[in-house]
Amino acid sequence: MKKKAYLGIDIGSISTKGVIISEENEFLAECYLWTEGNPMQATKNVLCRLKEQFDDAGYRIVASGTTGSARKLVGSMIGAQVVKNEITAHAVGTTTLHPDVRTILEIGGQDSKIICVENGVAVDYAMNTLCAAGTGAFLSSQAHRLGVAVEEFGEIALRAKKAAPIAARCTVFAESDLVHKLQVGCPKEEIIAGLCKAVAGNYLNNVAKGKKIAAPVVFQGGVSKNAGVVRMFEEELGMPVLVDERGHLMGAFGIAVLAGEQQEDAGFSFDVADMEFRTREIICGKCANHCEIICVYRESRLIDSWGNRCDNGAVS
Amino acid sequence: MEIRIDNRRKIAFPRISHYGYAIKYIVEQGLGAEYVLLPPATKKTAELGSKYSPDYACAPFKHSLGSLIEALEAGAEVLVETGGLCRLDYYGALQKEIIRELGYKCEFINLAEYMSGKKKEWLKLARHLSPKLKPARFTTGAYEGVKMAEYMDEIEAVYYQNAAFETEKGSYRKAYRKFLLKMQTAEDWQEIRAGYQEVKQAFDGIGMRKPERPVRIGVVGEYFTIMDEHSNQFLQEKLVRLGASVHRFLNVTNCHFRAKEPTLRPRIKAYADYNMGPTTTWTVNAALDYAKQGFDGIIHVKSFGCTPEMDAIPLLQNISRDYRIPVLYLSYDTQESDTGLDTRLEAFYDMLERKKKVMR
Repeated sequence: MKKKAYLGIDIGSISTKGVIISEENEFLAECYLWTEGNPMQATKNVLCRLKEQFDDAGYRIVASGTTGSARKLVGSMIGAQVVKNEITAHAVGTTTLHPDVRTILEIGGQDSKIICVENGVAVDYAMNTLCAAGTGAFLSSQAHRLGVAVEEFGEIALRAKKAAPIAARCTVFAESDLVHKLQVGCPKEEIIAGLCKAVAGNYLNNVAKGKKIAAPVVFQGGVSKNAGVVRMFEEELGMPVLVDERGHLMGAFGIAVLAGEQQEDAGFSFDVADMEFRTREIICGKCANHCEIICVYRESRLIDSWGNRCDNGAVS
Repeated sequence: MEIRIDNRRKIAFPRISHYGYAIKYIVEQGLGAEYVLLPPATKKTAELGSKYSPDYACAPFKHSLGSLIEALEAGAEVLVETGGLCRLDYYGALQKEIIRELGYKCEFINLAEYMSGKKKEWLKLARHLSPKLKPARFTTGAYEGVKMAEYMDEIEAVYYQNAAFETEKGSYRKAYRKFLLKMQTAEDWQEIRAGYQEVKQAFDGIGMRKPERPVRIGVVGEYFTIMDEHSNQFLQEKLVRLGASVHRFLNVTNCHFRAKEPTLRPRIKAYADYNMGPTTTWTVNAALDYAKQGFDGIIHVKSFGCTPEMDAIPLLQNISRDYRIPVLYLSYDTQESDTGLDTRLEAFYDMLERKKKVMR
């Protein structure tokens, strides 16, 4: 008999992640791709890659889950059993792999969050509000301005003797500080180190404000791949910061674990990767609230819709 | 040509939660004037309000300005705006100017001007609004209206605390809506009383599957945004749908008729020595109460830039640390999308629920 496996997909604003895990929480297949503004196509690509790595003869996918900002859309597209927010998924994923963790720092493309853990369960969390200062998107745009690839940021930052002072409070201020430093001939690596410090400082001053950061600390999300930011965190916190080499897959892993937890054998077929999906946004005209209703079609047939605040807007 | 079949003056007040029904009762049954009751607020209300508001004004200003403009379009002749203990006290004056500049012809009564005045002034105002005023009738009407507000607060609290656990989905909502409709149309004390008793009975008859230790969440925060469900994007309803028992201390009854600020202040002595603003004492007191009762979490609600409630945040952080209770902080402007809120609430609820399972 084939062994059970679980699929988890994390569709973020910048990247799409997919994993298949066994019942013992081992990674059977994994994939990381850019979303490129098209979550449905990105999911199809991820599924194709996962299919190539997946041992079809030994395992069978019995349940699937989605998380990330496009979780609902992709959830109805692949028929996922579990559709959960990324905070829960990250907490579950990290505490499964690192049962002793106390604090999870996470900086993604558009958001950042902190999760406090006690006895292997999340007890408090905070997420950035209103503004995306100090996230991956900010680093990417500044890398573009400086003409370096964002992947090299960490390495360059580590070479700097000191970090240029850059305001951490707000992206707009940080950017004007940066331009100013450039125009007075400040070395690039110091500016990049300053940016990394600004991201860490912004995070600790905004998202982590008022939260107790206890060791062991795990840092994840795309920005955790930046060694410069990791070092700035270690300096600011005065404690080691652990970066899991699979930290970027933690959301997908967590949602796969959750899919496994709910004990339902629903099955999953890779066929969805070849089907045609389409969404349509309609404005409900039944009252002045004008709800935006999202309709999802598979092969031209409506499979799901949401966005209506009352039953008058239900689409079927 | 307009045909007037009654010559009562048409009075309007900005929408706030379900209190419009009680105000309508006081205006129509007590004062003897006509009340312009608006339909529930929509996106357009906030758009309208934002369009003519200074950008830095807080969300309640925008929502209430939107309401007032909609009331004018619905035929209101007299607009009434309240005063308060924060920036709200200046809002009436500003809204009066904005409405005048938009070219509307109406009388604007700013209650902020009467707040520190004598009783005689209030009576004069009542006489002005309704020349044939009968003082005895007005007193009775006002009393019954206040009583109606108290009933609505009581029923609302029962609803949010229990609706998550009904066995038949939607039965609480159905009874609650029927009750609100009764309050909306009530014309005398018997009708109010009957509606109240009816909904109590209906609630008692609803089948419940309440877990032994349900997830309990306390909602605290700024006066308008916390009470007006359109402003807080149906926060409490969303929590109920996730499966939580939702408690909220702050309502008109508790704020104005029962718990006075000076009596509450000694209870939060460990965290604050003095009064910090309009509802800060209520916020901190309620949060402390929830923490002591062993609630699972607290949600703090405020409009973006609300200074008094911002001052309450460090105190809430201390309570959170001392009693080990997580607090979720929400700041509202006139948002378009619910997505961000949904994510945060779902994560908060999931966290509390998982925690409960593991830590027994």
